[in-house]
Amino acid sequence: MAQSSSLDVLLKGSSGQSTRGLLRIIILITIAAAAVASRLFSVIRFESIIHEFDPWFNFRATKYLVQNGFYSFWDWFDDRTWHPLGRVTGGTLYPGLMVTSGVIYHILRFLTIPVDIRNVCVLLAPGFSGLTALAMYLLTCEMSKSPSAGLLAAAFMGIVPGYISRSVAGSYDNEAIAIFLLVFTFFLWIKAVKNGSIMWGALTALFYGYMVSAWGGYVFITNLIPLHVFVLLCMGRYSSRVYISYTTWYALGTLGSMQIPFVGFLPIRNSDHMSALGVFGLIQLGLLRTLSAGVIAPWSGRFYSLWDTGYAKIHIPIIASVSEHQPTAWPAFFFDLNFLIWLFPAGVFMCFQNLKDEHVFVIIYAVLASYFAGVMVRLMLTLTPIVCVAAALAVSSILDSFLVLTKPNPESQTKTTSEDSKSLRSTQKPVVGIYSYFSKAVVTGSITVYLLLFVAHCTWVTSNAYSSPSVVLASRMPDGSQFIIDDYREAYYWLRQNTPDNAKIMSWWDYGYQIGGMADRPTLVDNNTWNNTHIATVGKAMSSREEVSYPILRQHDVDYVLVVFGGLLGYSGDDLNKFLWMVRIAEGIWPDEVKERDFFTARGEYRVDDEATPTMRNSLMYKMSYYNFQSLFPAGQAVDRVRGTRAPTESPQLNTLEEAFTSENWIIRIYKVKDLDNFDRDHNNAVAFDKGLKRKRASKKKGPRVLRTE
Amino acid sequence: MRFFTATVLGLLAPSLAAATNLTIPSRLALPSDFKPAQVFKNTNLVRNTNLEKGYVRETVNVVVENVDTQPQSDYYIPFPADVFERVGGFEVRDKKATGKGRFEVDVTEAVSSSDNQYFVVHFPEPLAPKSQITLGISYSVLSSLSPLPATIGQNDKQYLTHSFSAYIHSAYQTVTQKTKLKFPSADVPDYTTTEGLKSGADPERKGATYTYGPYDTTKVAPGTEYPITVRYEFTNPVITASLLERDLEVSHWGGNLATEERYWLRNNASQLTNQFSRVEWTFSSYQKAPTSAVRELTYPLLPGSVDAYFIDDIGNVSTSRYRPGTAKTGANLELKPRFPIFGGWNYSFKVGWNNDLSAFLRKATGTDSYVLKVPFLQGPKMAEGVQYERVIVRVVLPEGAHNVRYELVEGAASNGLPGANQIQASLSSFKTYMDTLGRTTLTLEVDSLTDEARDAQLVVTYEHTLVDALRKPLTIFAGLLTVFVGIWFIGNLDVSIKKR
Repeated sequence: MAQSSSLDVLLKGSSGQSTRGLLRIIILITIAAAAVASRLFSVIRFESIIHEFDPWFNFRATKYLVQNGFYSFWDWFDDRTWHPLGRVTGGTLYPGLMVTSGVIYHILRFLTIPVDIRNVCVLLAPGFSGLTALAMYLLTCEMSKSPSAGLLAAAFMGIVPGYISRSVAGSYDNEAIAIFLLVFTFFLWIKAVKNGSIMWGALTALFYGYMVSAWGGYVFITNLIPLHVFVLLCMGRYSSRVYISYTTWYALGTLGSMQIPFVGFLPIRNSDHMSALGVFGLIQLGLLRTLSAGVIAPWSGRFYSLWDTGYAKIHIPIIASVSEHQPTAWPAFFFDLNFLIWLFPAGVFMCFQNLKDEHVFVIIYAVLASYFAGVMVRLMLTLTPIVCVAAALAVSSILDSFLVLTKPNPESQTKTTSEDSKSLRSTQKPVVGIYSYFSKAVVTGSITVYLLLFVAHCTWVTSNAYSSPSVVLASRMPDGSQFIIDDYREAYYWLRQNTPDNAKIMSWWDYGYQIGGMADRPTLVDNNTWNNTHIATVGKAMSSREEVSYPILRQHDVDYVLVVFGGLLGYSGDDLNKFLWMVRIAEGIWPDEVKERDFFTARGEYRVDDEATPTMRNSLMYKMSYYNFQSLFPAGQAVDRVRGTRAPTESPQLNTLEEAFTSENWIIRIYKVKDLDNFDRDHNNAVAFDKGLKRKRASKKKGPRVLRTE
Repeated sequence: MRFFTATVLGLLAPSLAAATNLTIPSRLALPSDFKPAQVFKNTNLVRNTNLEKGYVRETVNVVVENVDTQPQSDYYIPFPADVFERVGGFEVRDKKATGKGRFEVDVTEAVSSSDNQYFVVHFPEPLAPKSQITLGISYSVLSSLSPLPATIGQNDKQYLTHSFSAYIHSAYQTVTQKTKLKFPSADVPDYTTTEGLKSGADPERKGATYTYGPYDTTKVAPGTEYPITVRYEFTNPVITASLLERDLEVSHWGGNLATEERYWLRNNASQLTNQFSRVEWTFSSYQKAPTSAVRELTYPLLPGSVDAYFIDDIGNVSTSRYRPGTAKTGANLELKPRFPIFGGWNYSFKVGWNNDLSAFLRKATGTDSYVLKVPFLQGPKMAEGVQYERVIVRVVLPEGAHNVRYELVEGAASNGLPGANQIQASLSSFKTYMDTLGRTTLTLEVDSLTDEARDAQLVVTYEHTLVDALRKPLTIFAGLLTVFVGIWFIGNLDVSIKKR
């Protein structure tokens, strides 16, 4: 009996508030722990390492912040990137992420816990995803009376791949903290709208300010909240609650956001922010936008590409060349959200049923985010929270209806319903309810199966698709053990240890942040991509003949050139495969000197083998990729495993560069730029002369020619 | 947390007692016109120079006779000032009674009037007039071998040169002397042949051993030079650690001895004439051809070592392998650097592992004193040897440890370390893992070591009481209590505007 009574406490609704509260806290802590744990796959599989590209910059900036203090971070002019221009880094980044981990680091150091800043950075994203789950619980509880909706939403948010993709341990990017801030700001906003309280409005503004300092995606909040208010106004739901919360948020939030140097006066200049101002005016006096168009900067290019997916391809190759700016493929929705994606419409529909202010918010958010997620892969991230809310609403309402064991009592309701005989036939029946245990069991069972499948899917996706650092590549040995291909770090560490501290490295911009972070050497261009012309210059140097490239290299003080070549291993993300983007970007600036057409054969094919065009063969990138490659193979059998073609049988001749380092699997090749020739010849002649000398020697061995006398 | 516990714990904290044997190396100041008095005569001197490793290891056996009328006890051994700083592990013993341990040796400051700097050997008892003593002097000279040619191709053989004087650099008159050179192989393309120093061929060659002398040098003034240069094949890396930091952390609560070593390695071999070629390297490592590049470092660890790691500035070096071994054989850490380290290239990295403390720590029964015995230096074990320009060993003892004393274990043979007065020792406090006072840390700094010191053992004794052990749990308890009380207090504050 003791057992059943203790079970009753959990199952029956009559249990005390404190028991339920405790249970809820335990569940939430478990969810948070599961959220953190599932993101640690990458640390277990590989190591505690910063992933990919942008995180390396954030990591480097954080180290700078920790070493030099906040004020010098704020004023940081970085002369080790974008050589010779430099970058006003302190004024062109979102400092929220670095400051957050800096604060955590200093707190831990104050408690004399000897933690490495790298580990703080690596584990920041999992830690914040635990908080996101909690924020999700709070947000969903505002939408539904059933607490199970909140808990389900927290659990979904904790493990959904759409969010994990950006928050595994080591993916130290702005999104790591931004999604938490996004969800929490929305929670505070809903709270503010519900209560009409200045305090909640001010808190919303505070977290909005934090969000602005952390991620460029804050524009989403900037537009969504005004839209929510605008829709409420249109629905005739203007109230003092809405007025108080919106004006508080807008005034404080805008002031707060302007404190970030990178944002500055954008909130009153940029059209991305105009809806907020417009709604502010509207809510004050019914003012519509009357500001002159001249003051307002045109919409930024990345924003255009949101509305017109073809915009980027035509106008801005550098945006289009980034894979995460591509439109989303349909399977990606299912891959990232699994069964939540088909519960999502159901949840949104249920919001229509009791259409309070907060449900309007969910509907608007759902519509907007669905559109954006379809346009750009990375915006799947903003869709994920609302999908979790909607799906949790749907699942919880199913479970709440089907998990109740007691049958409805027909007699008690018969009279009240039968009086209203003019309504629909279905409602004329005495009572709507589920009577049979069978249907309850079937529905609950199938939902349970879906939930279990969801967990299995999330775990699988996380461990297989999203946990690779991409700095380190893993493959399997024949015996099943893991084999790690570590060429990137091999080459970067070689640069770090064996080149002068200020040797300038030229590479395509993808590797700029990594070279800055791992090799600690100045670079010409990096993933910040703020100067298109500079990137085009690098593109031109890579895609031109040596005679054209060498002056460019000399003018930019380049000491080493780094290329990524996957031909030996079959690593498809190499520079030859990205080469057309370099050509296109260079062509954008020098249409007369670099022509994309010249890199295609007469039949319009992109070839690198024997049929490659002369322009292709003479380009620096082609030469650097295949230099000396054939000597690894028996004569005439050199194969490029990425493109599945024959590699050139003779090594391309490099006159102005010399091979300095090639990593074990040839993924990274580093070339040293030769100094000017000692005898003032051009390099072409110098190399030819050296070769000629050798030929002379060879002929000497034959001995002097003797005149035949017979 | 430090603030509010400091007062409480200030009462409990014992003072760090100063009863230690820590030393700061002192150097004898000599008068500017100093010359050692001619009170000794070297009746017979044999110098054995071993060139099998990347540094020079010399053992000089010399029969010393007192030619003065008074008993003498200070024997001066000169070195040119530029060589002097690179002499490591200097040790002098009585050759007839090696078990008695090393003689006390002092170091002098540079003398402005001469190029020499001296080691001063103090005999335990003064040598009576006309009596003799046989000294065994051993030391190594770092970074004295230079590659010739200085740049080679990637697959070429490497040759090193060693220059020395046929007459040993001594402060006293020497009657007969000879030098034996031991080369790594018989491939010695160039060597100086002397003329007129002795009858017969000089040097005498026997396989990889060359002997210069014996010479009768009764009439040769001390300090006379007769330069000799030998050039021999050494297609191995010349591994040099410009700095090694070694941390040993003792945890009583965890029962763990954590070791971490940070290396700044350099290869002093011939540099590459051309740039590095991966193709050639692939083929030559397939054939396992000898090379002057560091391909791999084998690092033997003590039995029972666990959790070994090998990382550098940018993370785990995935090419390494750890073989735990058995309880008897000991573990092996195979360190393969990210890239082969050719001449002139650098590589810095960290290795670390854990050991069960019980194998290293003993508690004296009935008292609070502990004895810790750990290896002074471990390091990679390579056939070509490793030289360390500077070694800093830190032993982090538990918080509150006091009465710290240390000793280096002496055996019948050289332990590769210089005398105790050449080791700079200091005590400091190191705060980590919520320490309030900081952990007592013994730091030992030595210059110019070689991997011969691998087997040297360091013994540290200290006292640590129960109060010291309980300090941290109490601190954390007090800290958490304060937090809870603070939260409770703040929670009870009524800050509402409207009246309830």
